Amino acid sequence: MLNYAWFIFLTPIIFAPISVIAGKKAKALAGVLASLSILISLILSIVVWLNIRGTSTPIYQAYNWFDNINAGIYVDHLAVVMVLMVSFVSLMIHLFALYYMKDDPRKNTYFGETALFTGGMLGLIIASNLLEFFLFWELVGLCSYLLIGFWFFKPNAASAAKKAFIVTRVGDLLFIIGLAVLYSLLTVQGVSSPLSIPYLINNAPKIATEIGAQNLTIIGLLFLGGAAGKSAQFPLHVWIPDAMEGPTTVSALIHAATMVTAGVYLIARVLPLYANATALAPDAVLYIGAFTALFAGTIGIVVNDLKRILAYSTISQIGYMMAALGMVSTFGESVIGYSIYHLVVHAVFKALLFMAAGVILLSLMELRDVKKMGGLWKRMPVTVSLMFIGSITLAALPPTAAFFSKDTIIDVAYNYFIMNGSNAYSILPWIFLVIGALMTSLYTFRMFFLVALGKPRSKLAEEAKDPPKIVLIPLIILALLSLTLGVVQYRFYDFIVPGTTKVVVPMLAEYTPLTVVVIGLLITIALYATTSWQRINLEKNPVYKLLRAKYFLDALFTRVIAERIILPLSSGVSRVENGFSISIEGTGKGAMGFGGILRKIENGVIEYYFVFLIAGVAILMLLLEILGGI
Amino acid sequence: MTFVLNSSILESLYPEIFLGLVAFGMLLMGRRVKDWVVYTAVSIISLLISMILLLLFDSSNSSFFGGAFVINNFGLYFALILITSSLYVSFTAGSELKHDPEIFFSIFLFVNVAMIIAAFSLNLIFIFIAFEGISIGTYILSAHGKSKRNLEASAKYFFTGVIATGFIVLGSSFYFLSTGTFNLVSVTSISLINKPSMLLAMILLFVGFGFKLALVPLQQWAVDAYDGTKNPVSAFLSSGTKVLAFLVILRVFLVGFSSMNTDVFYLFTIVSIVTMTYGNFAALSENNLKRMLAYSSIAQAGYLILVLDVVSSNASHFAFTVAIFAAMYYSLVYIFMKGGAFIASGAVREDKIMINDLSGIGLKSPVFAISLGIMMLALAGIPPTAGFFAKYYLFLALISGNLWYLAVIGILNSAISVFYYLKIIVVMFRPATEERDFNLSRPILIPVIIGAAMSIALSFLIYGYPYISSIVAGLGVGV
Repeated sequence: MLNYAWFIFLTPIIFAPISVIAGKKAKALAGVLASLSILISLILSIVVWLNIRGTSTPIYQAYNWFDNINAGIYVDHLAVVMVLMVSFVSLMIHLFALYYMKDDPRKNTYFGETALFTGGMLGLIIASNLLEFFLFWELVGLCSYLLIGFWFFKPNAASAAKKAFIVTRVGDLLFIIGLAVLYSLLTVQGVSSPLSIPYLINNAPKIATEIGAQNLTIIGLLFLGGAAGKSAQFPLHVWIPDAMEGPTTVSALIHAATMVTAGVYLIARVLPLYANATALAPDAVLYIGAFTALFAGTIGIVVNDLKRILAYSTISQIGYMMAALGMVSTFGESVIGYSIYHLVVHAVFKALLFMAAGVILLSLMELRDVKKMGGLWKRMPVTVSLMFIGSITLAALPPTAAFFSKDTIIDVAYNYFIMNGSNAYSILPWIFLVIGALMTSLYTFRMFFLVALGKPRSKLAEEAKDPPKIVLIPLIILALLSLTLGVVQYRFYDFIVPGTTKVVVPMLAEYTPLTVVVIGLLITIALYATTSWQRINLEKNPVYKLLRAKYFLDALFTRVIAERIILPLSSGVSRVENGFSISIEGTGKGAMGFGGILRKIENGVIEYYFVFLIAGVAILMLLLEILGGI
Repeated sequence: MTFVLNSSILESLYPEIFLGLVAFGMLLMGRRVKDWVVYTAVSIISLLISMILLLLFDSSNSSFFGGAFVINNFGLYFALILITSSLYVSFTAGSELKHDPEIFFSIFLFVNVAMIIAAFSLNLIFIFIAFEGISIGTYILSAHGKSKRNLEASAKYFFTGVIATGFIVLGSSFYFLSTGTFNLVSVTSISLINKPSMLLAMILLFVGFGFKLALVPLQQWAVDAYDGTKNPVSAFLSSGTKVLAFLVILRVFLVGFSSMNTDVFYLFTIVSIVTMTYGNFAALSENNLKRMLAYSSIAQAGYLILVLDVVSSNASHFAFTVAIFAAMYYSLVYIFMKGGAFIASGAVREDKIMINDLSGIGLKSPVFAISLGIMMLALAGIPPTAGFFAKYYLFLALISGNLWYLAVIGILNSAISVFYYLKIIVVMFRPATEERDFNLSRPILIPVIIGAAMSIALSFLIYGYPYISSIVAGLGVGV
């Protein structure tokens, strides 16, 4: 008998084709069906949450799939929080998409794909086996590709979809290699179901002694590669900004709230493996995360595209989550709580910001340059107020939820510095994260002030209007949540990892993040709340140029790696291939010709047949004489 | 050798006697009844009854006429396959006859009598007589219809066939010369290694019996005969008599020459390689459908001879068992896929059936086109058809017998053959260039569908492989 928790992910997957087909006839039905299926998922998630809230026993149901792979569901506290977040945020975004996509001719396809995506994401979260996890991981990757390229008639969208797919493929390749290594090592040990998640997380120390911490480190690094691809960490982050070519609701759903956090979830899921590997594996997670948090922030402050600013902020915020997970060697599993709490809070406010941006873009006919906006607070008061709430949450001003979630991560990084010998090496994460907070403040308020204040700088901005209030209800719910989620902070930590203690840091360290945020706010007020930014000309500034060029990473990937290395390589391969196919064709022609000669033997003249027969038998005997020897 | 007829021997001969009586009865009936439907029905029913009689009376291991006639499960299996093949052909044969159906069907039943006898014979004289019974019967069958094409094909078949008969007689006499007996069983114990006359006998017998299999260099009659005769006769020539010839060769060389198997290994290797390659290459550029099928059936005979390569190479017991299983399985699948393909060519109402004449049939009758397509896939050896598993066990036997190079050659040949088999499928689904009227009457459509269904269904037999192979291992092949 299937546990009802299976239907958390099965419902949207079942509804996906139904809504595509039903939507062909009645356009409005597709969105309703998709939203309904996600509502069912949400209700089931709540039921699961109510059931396992008091116990530490997870729901675990698995069946033998093939060979030694058991597949099924595994819902523990971590997973239930994730399914609650995903189904809730997805439901909000679906409801908003009913409005946002109302005029699209292919909206049945859209809703089918987003429902399929949500089902895949939920399945990924509650998968009980890493192979199953990987399948869902690929499914969401596919949906991401389809949805980024949803407006495939825009050349940008088509190429962005391709880019997203290919870049994440690099990560996926590393991930599956890691899976293969883990599988083969554990199968040698005679483990009955080597990739089963409960086995991995409950027996991590035993696994480490059996297969060696070194091997576990390699596996951890390969998994990190997969996570970096999916969660857009340095240096595989390049696909997210381009992915903004999709519909804004897609950006909100996939590239802000849910799919991009799958990498974080993967590492959180198998964190015991990292804890038992050598220090290199968790350190790599920590430093890549912290560096990405800073790095993406610096690019964010010079970007002018509204959605791309948000995209870089997403990369940066995920960096915080990764960094928190990387400190597992010092703080044990309680880092999962820190990381996932920020993940949930981020999903809420980032979905809010994206949807607010979506409303603005809809009103401005997809004009995305913030420098051409301005004065929108007066024209779209409700939307921009909601965006304001999202912005102060993103910047982590008290008392918003992100103030608690993000500052805790920065404080934990400070404790990491204290507890790891207080040297230059161990302070780096904290410094990165603090400067990252400054960057966050800078790009957030720059974006917000450019959008909201001043005078409209284009005709479209002058005519912007709020949409009907009713469509903003999902945004309002999310805004309320992003203001109030902070109150559950420690209860949340305790729910995910029981016994998480309060993070205590010296006063100076405690107020540093807030101070830098306020500094950032003051700078942006000085520059962007007025018109003084228009007088600055940075075009000649080398730092600005470097940032505008996104550290030349895109250029490195496309011009050097793709064009100089992969293209010549593939053209070489294709030349060999071509030669091969020519030779095959030649063989074919030769064979035909040879066959033609053979057929000439059959000329229908019977005397000739006799000669052939006797001669053939004679030759046969001769050959036997030579070979066998009579 | 004592030829004493007692009741138990008579019982064992019931199927042959019954079929023979029915055949005579048919000739008498021919005075009054000229409707081919009647003869088709009688022939089908009597073949079914003879199958039942075979199962009832011939299932016990017994040997009489001094070991010349041995009834065992191996022979019984092949006898049943041969009658199945005849049954399959009977469905469609009548509708193609313009006159004298009673002669056709009575000769057909006589051929079946001879086939059953050949399946159980372990004496060269017995085999020779039975084999000649089949040969002469098929000469008449291929000449039936008396059109110029039929007669020409039959004449070529006859004249070359006579030479092959000469080889059999010559081989038998050399065999007698070296062993002092025509009996195959009684020589197994005699040490005959390095006896030149024995090897000569082997080659001559192989050539003589291999004629029906259309092995290179004895293949030339086949293409003309298959092309020139009526479709049911071509189907019968290329399936039933081929399987029988293969059985006889297997018998003769497993039993009669078992002590010097390895010497003939070269003979089989050369012939199998040349035959496969010749058939496949010649079929590549052939545009005439029936000639192409003829070439492909030459190639298939080459595959069958691969079995002999394994059993004559001192292979392990496992490889030997797999090889025998492959031979039995291949024969069974072969009669449906090849017979069905020849019957299917009757859909085109022309004397010379070109491959392009099939174009457009996929739209007219998808059932027919898909069925023929399945048989083509089976012939090409593409999973999940039974043809794939037949080839699979064949190559498995080769590989487990350490004959890698033969397996490689066989697989390369299969790859080549895919080209011309798939060509037919492509042509069938191409829109017709001109309006054509296809003959899709029941006597053609139903056997084609049965053939396709069996080409798929027989693949489920391999699920019983462990069980079947244990039976094969205990068959006491030939003895």
